[in-house]
Amino acid sequence: MKTAVFWGCCILTGQYAYEMSLREVLPRLDIELVDLRESVCCGDPIRSVNDFTANYLGARIISLANLTGLDNLLVPCNRCHFTISEAKSNMNNSPKISRRIRALLKEESLEYNPNIKVWHTIDLLHDFVGLEKIKKTVVKPLKGLKVATHVGCQIIRYSDLGRVDDAENPRKLDDLVAAIGAETVNYAEKLDCCGSALLRSHPDSALSLAGSKLKAVQNLTVDSLVVSCPDCQLMFDVRQKDAGTTVGAKLSVPVVYYTQLLGLALNIDERKIGLNLNQSSVDQLLSKIPA
Amino acid sequence: MSMAKPNLESREKILAKLSGRELVNCFQCIKCTSGCTALKLLELKPHEIIKLVNLGLVDELPSSDIIWTCVTCLKCVQRCPQKASPYHVIMALRNLAVEKEAKIPEAYLKAVSQILETGLIETPQKIVTRKMETLDRDCLKLPKIKPPKESFQAVFMKAMEEK
Repeated sequence: MKTAVFWGCCILTGQYAYEMSLREVLPRLDIELVDLRESVCCGDPIRSVNDFTANYLGARIISLANLTGLDNLLVPCNRCHFTISEAKSNMNNSPKISRRIRALLKEESLEYNPNIKVWHTIDLLHDFVGLEKIKKTVVKPLKGLKVATHVGCQIIRYSDLGRVDDAENPRKLDDLVAAIGAETVNYAEKLDCCGSALLRSHPDSALSLAGSKLKAVQNLTVDSLVVSCPDCQLMFDVRQKDAGTTVGAKLSVPVVYYTQLLGLALNIDERKIGLNLNQSSVDQLLSKIPA
Repeated sequence: MSMAKPNLESREKILAKLSGRELVNCFQCIKCTSGCTALKLLELKPHEIIKLVNLGLVDELPSSDIIWTCVTCLKCVQRCPQKASPYHVIMALRNLAVEKEAKIPEAYLKAVSQILETGLIETPQKIVTRKMETLDRDCLKLPKIKPPKESFQAVFMKAMEEK
């Protein structure tokens, strides 16, 4: 399948490992990515300032995808995925919002297309590619590896929008981990938030949330925490040291994107999937990957 | 000491943003507050905010720091049995704070000016790896970032003027 892809700000400006691993992994599973004409904000940070503009920016992304002529749009960032999904729902359910937004889009000769399906990494891999295909494509199953998963908040809530997985008991990421031969653990803090949204107003509290979760994960004695959102990765990986300081803990939890783990199982060179870019102790994890 | 007075005009402004969500249906079951990520840390109590808005006591909320403590985890939207959605009320209050030119966290205003300038909220960073290599998108052979067409700026500004 050919799909348009919208990366969002966080991935393009710093979370390069997610972009690299997606660009490496997806073609091997017969998904071809087509970049949009522009790199532009999805609207999420604007929602607090002016929610109409957030909806406009979200709908604008779908209109940019429409220019590719493709019916599918991959949005690998949880936050962007939520913002675009909510914009889509408002375009669908509120004639007033839809009319005003279409008028603005028209000024740039853009056209909104309600039939474009919005995917996230997790449901694209789980529902479209499928676990069987992933199992068949894996060349190096990650036997013996035990990990904790963190799906994040905004791809599972709120269900009325149509989300990627169940709001209270998400399983797809765990299934995807199992498909590449590793094992996942269940833990009480699984649905706890990474805190990233508070970085703009209450950074200490943001770090405290990330630190508390990392502390809990560290106590599970797993080999890694696996995420699928650039904001969560920023909190758990890049800011891990600060998060540890905030909660008074010495943290050493390797944090990776699922697509990086998948890349390892597909035997892709570590640097090609950006494993040199993770700031947390991923060498600890790499030493456990079967040769 | 004077009692707080209801401000029905501001209340209407908030309700107008909640298309289809009925705040008056809230029966204070406190499911939102009991699951709120920001409760323990920052004492955010979403059910109290809903109550205040329902009573029209909305003059102080936009200038209060409490509306900026929401983590946007969306658990309250998910779990509200009455579809009152404290999250959307808090976002409407933030919008009202901007309208009233109350003190808002600077990072939000910075995001607006960044988007105007480049289309994105940040500029691409150089990453220092665990082995102290400094790498950017070029070194990593990632495609160039394509800024929005010139026409974007004016339309974005126009959208920002809408309420």
